[in-house]
Amino acid sequence: MVHFAFLDWFWVIAFIILMTVCGILFYKLGKRSMADFFLAGRGLPWWLPATSVYATHTATDTPIWVSGVVYQYGLRGLWYTFFSAWCAISAFASTRIFRRSLAYTQAEWQTLRFSGLGAELLRGWIAGWQVFMNMFVLGWVGMAMGKLCNYLFGWPQWVALVLFSTICAVYVLAAGYWGVVMSDFQQGVIAFLVIVIVSFWGISVAGGPHGIVSKLGAMGQSWRLNPFAFSGLTGGDFPLVWFLTMLVIAVIGGFGMGTSIDWYPEAQRIQSAKTVRDASYSIWSGTALIVIRNSIWAVAILGFFVLYPNIQETAQYEMAWYRIGFEYLPVGMVGLFFAAIVAIHLSTISAHLNLGASYATRDLYHHYFKPKATEKELVWVGRVSTLILLIGSFIYGSMMKEITQWLIFALWIMAAGIWLPSILQVVWWRFNSWGYLSSWIANLGLSWLVVWVLPEFRLIPDLPDYLQFWIMMVLGALIYLPITFLTKPEDMDRLVKYYVMSRPLGWWKPVRLEAERRGLVVPEAGAAKGGN
Amino acid sequence: MSWIKRRWTAVEADRWTKEDYLTFVISPLVYVLLMIGTALSLLLRWYGFLLLGGGVVLLLLMLWIIDPKLKAISESYEVKQKQYLEEIEKIARWEK
Repeated sequence: MVHFAFLDWFWVIAFIILMTVCGILFYKLGKRSMADFFLAGRGLPWWLPATSVYATHTATDTPIWVSGVVYQYGLRGLWYTFFSAWCAISAFASTRIFRRSLAYTQAEWQTLRFSGLGAELLRGWIAGWQVFMNMFVLGWVGMAMGKLCNYLFGWPQWVALVLFSTICAVYVLAAGYWGVVMSDFQQGVIAFLVIVIVSFWGISVAGGPHGIVSKLGAMGQSWRLNPFAFSGLTGGDFPLVWFLTMLVIAVIGGFGMGTSIDWYPEAQRIQSAKTVRDASYSIWSGTALIVIRNSIWAVAILGFFVLYPNIQETAQYEMAWYRIGFEYLPVGMVGLFFAAIVAIHLSTISAHLNLGASYATRDLYHHYFKPKATEKELVWVGRVSTLILLIGSFIYGSMMKEITQWLIFALWIMAAGIWLPSILQVVWWRFNSWGYLSSWIANLGLSWLVVWVLPEFRLIPDLPDYLQFWIMMVLGALIYLPITFLTKPEDMDRLVKYYVMSRPLGWWKPVRLEAERRGLVVPEAGAAKGGN
Repeated sequence: MSWIKRRWTAVEADRWTKEDYLTFVISPLVYVLLMIGTALSLLLRWYGFLLLGGGVVLLLLMLWIIDPKLKAISESYEVKQKQYLEEIEKIARWEK
């Protein structure tokens, strides 16, 4: 339990009022249209979605996760956080293509890229899955806050889950994405400043940079300072092949859409930027802030390791960064620290409330139930969807212990077997909706087999995660590639329209030639020599 | 450095060129250098400052290469955006 003085509570209450009012102020802009309620009218300069990317991906469970991997692996642990680097290429490849498509959501993009029944099935599936996933993330992150407040104040876990999500819902309901992005800006600034202050405080407490380095040396733990201290080619706790697999997943994944679970919130930020250039810079710089933030955290966690080197329980050392703040900051500063944690929490909750509602409104209600709905009606459906997501998150939160294992499995499915098809749908004209749909279905079965069923019956050994990834990728391709070639290519009219709008990267030559023949695209000089 | 194109027409900027491919290579490197460089600089390692400085230089180089092209793409695309948005609304409302 932590004792809060008057000044501590002052910080917390002042920040909550600031964050809520900041969001509500944009009520009039949010209610103008569905494009305003979910994309801020597609008119934001790059730095607003950039801070939103940063703030959204700084959640209450993020320092817990970073603390866990850095305490365990030293600076090598930073590579576990490097999956966010898919934005390095995405910012200049798939971000440009997606922004030019003007799709509200990734689900909508499926019906611009593909055509017919397959495209509609994909849109419905991705929309439903995203509503579910956002509800799950809200419950997950809400419970992380519940556990933290239980540790700090002894509150029952549901209290913080309900209290902070409800406060957040006030401005999301009122102003939609305008409220989200404007609050994210000040929440992002507060969070970054406090992360720097608390981490530097921790480094200082541990003896400063030189103190940490010399103490690690004296403990025989200097390897923790080397981000490239591999344990071998394939063996040990940090093999080179894991590192190379991670680099492939993270970096090459940037050519696709949906190769990372973070693509979906980013897609909303991409479409809210006022130009293609703003979209690219917002995604790139928001992620650069995340990468730098992780490094600042990592050094503070090394300091914590020097102070407490023998913690064995994961649940204990995962709280490292929070312990630095709550155990070492002076009275008055602790409240500021907690206010920043609330900022971190609200930015994530608000983003997922609005994102989940966008799929429910745009892709399910508007597209399938009432295509002729007015803008006013759609904004109200957005609000009702937000409310349903909020209530759903409370239910998920209360069930979290039972379902977490299943849902982590679902996330793993997403990462492993859909990775390559999510790239192919962007870069290869011949990849069709049936190929992409079959990859989702095939991966569901294959991941069960490879990760759980076959090892359980001792038919195959327990495989390291990097090997599971490659095996599932190859097995999946053996299913979706034949299906792609055995079914018809997408309708050429749709492909040409998509090509002219989005100018995709990769193997699009037949579509480009058709667009040139129709006079929709200026022929490339030397096109006869080949090219894309 | 005339090898890098700095003046783009709208039609030229729509195509994927070596400037894009160079950016694909430099951009992940910048993230790696910023991440490792920041951590090691905070620990006052000299090579940390070197890596961080390298990251900043590469970032500036990347912007120098790609920014003129991104500007050209954005300017030409804004003109077409309204028409595209109308197309998308028709699809959403099942009007074709």
